[in-house]
Amino acid sequence: MLLDYDRLGFWRWILVAIGVVVMLFLLLPILFIAALSFGDSQWLVFPPPGWTLQWYEQLLTDPVWLNSLFTSAKVAVIVTVLSVVLGLLAALGLARSKFFGKSALQAFFLTPMVLPVVVLAVALYAFFLKLGLTGTLTGFVIGHLIIALPFSIITIGNSLQSFDPALEDAAMICGAGPLEVKWRVTLPAIRLGMFAAAIFSFLISWDEVVLSIFMASPTLQTLPVLIWSTLRQDLTPVIAAASTLLVAFTIVLMLLASLLKKGTRS
Amino acid sequence: MSTALSSTTVPVRRRFKLGPGARGIKLLIPVLLLLAVFFLVPVLALLLRSIMEPVPGLQNYVELLGSQTYVRVFFNTFMVAGVVTLITLLVGFPTAWLLAIMPKRWSQVMFAILLLSMWTNLLARTYAWMVLLQQTGLVNRVLMAIGVIDEPLTLVNNLIGVTIGMTYIMLPFLVLPLHATLRAIDPSTLRAAAICGASRWQALRLVLLPLALPGIASGALMVFVMSLGYYVTPALLGGTGYMMLAELIAQLVQSLLNWGLAGAAAFVLLVVTLGLYAVQLRYLGGGRSGMGDR
Repeated sequence: MLLDYDRLGFWRWILVAIGVVVMLFLLLPILFIAALSFGDSQWLVFPPPGWTLQWYEQLLTDPVWLNSLFTSAKVAVIVTVLSVVLGLLAALGLARSKFFGKSALQAFFLTPMVLPVVVLAVALYAFFLKLGLTGTLTGFVIGHLIIALPFSIITIGNSLQSFDPALEDAAMICGAGPLEVKWRVTLPAIRLGMFAAAIFSFLISWDEVVLSIFMASPTLQTLPVLIWSTLRQDLTPVIAAASTLLVAFTIVLMLLASLLKKGTRS
Repeated sequence: MSTALSSTTVPVRRRFKLGPGARGIKLLIPVLLLLAVFFLVPVLALLLRSIMEPVPGLQNYVELLGSQTYVRVFFNTFMVAGVVTLITLLVGFPTAWLLAIMPKRWSQVMFAILLLSMWTNLLARTYAWMVLLQQTGLVNRVLMAIGVIDEPLTLVNNLIGVTIGMTYIMLPFLVLPLHATLRAIDPSTLRAAAICGASRWQALRLVLLPLALPGIASGALMVFVMSLGYYVTPALLGGTGYMMLAELIAQLVQSLLNWGLAGAAAFVLLVVTLGLYAVQLRYLGGGRSGMGDR
């Protein structure tokens, strides 16, 4: 009965009350920022005295913001491609091999996910200072790739688990070559996992702050770095506009992902 | 590493899908190289600096654990992580419970909100709380309007702000895996408890909580560990007067160029983090939000 919604009695209303409060707690700040981004108060008065698009105009006409947006997109796309390709190789390798120390290697592949990002950021920063990679696109890509990869490996690995390798055997028996089997049998079967890995990788790179702060130079910075350095000075509504655009973008990606999920179920 | 990998004899049937046994292993080489060069080497090099700079020895660790300033940072870090974990649990458990049992129509709405919050840019969420909690912010104005307080409270640039912001960020990380644990519990165990005459409290205390305990413990541990190493939110909501460990590491590198001490602080954070994850794997059977153990 404690796990039966209809027979929970008055406890149900306690749970519902807590649930509603938590949902409002999670949702309202995001809506609040979206509202402020259209408000005309420089001092972020709420509710805003009037409505305006001037913060978006400032954001989208300022070359510094536009450049950082462009850098973010470029880094995220490169990271996504590399992360899915390398993640696929690693996931296939882990799923299709047996050797001594495999689970240790698997754990090693996933450590970047549990290591505090600041430790990795400072370590990579020192390393890149020596190699001259700070403030370069390569620096950003490598940093983001390291933390995106574990998610790719896990997501693709999970979808490989529900794929029956006997299908590959069948294709081979029917005369397909090894590469043709991978291309026409395995990859189509795990494409959902690869797609999820791509979305994860993109969002991880797109939202990454800590590593990026250390990789950035005054001439090359991603959008989160620019938001960060602006935030340390003041709370200008331009950031509300930038944040709202980021939220909108996230919603689009999430909808896309859920549509794809639905599309394959039916 | 690859020298240690012995290619085992492969049964004939498997040769169809594997090719020669070593082929699967070859696929691992790119990622292994990438992580060795750009992950393992840099992290080890940083840790090495903690015992090599400015002179070889343990003086960095002595300074870190001996000075009042740095002990204060450790205290802040563990206290905030502990309080955040506690609040997240108290609020997150009922939420996860509700999410696990409520009709699908409503649980889908809750899922959407949880995922939206989780995937919304971290800076955007932190910015929201910086605006909401400032002296003239909405929270203070509402509290004053309904007469709870007369003067605006100082809610940012201290540990209250950090705690609120961190709780906000950690909630989905607890609710989502815990909801999976609760869903996996067979409702008939609770029906059995009711038939045997257990009151609601007894059923909660003696059946539901013990069954959910692995999920609760691993979720709480994950929130605690993640909170220990967080940088962005504490730095923006806490200000310099209330520093936490991750911020200290960044500051030591960026402003003070004290790589030795930064390495030592990073080592402490690393040991605590990986140690607690090891505890989780060992005693709670992994299950880091159900992803890592498959």
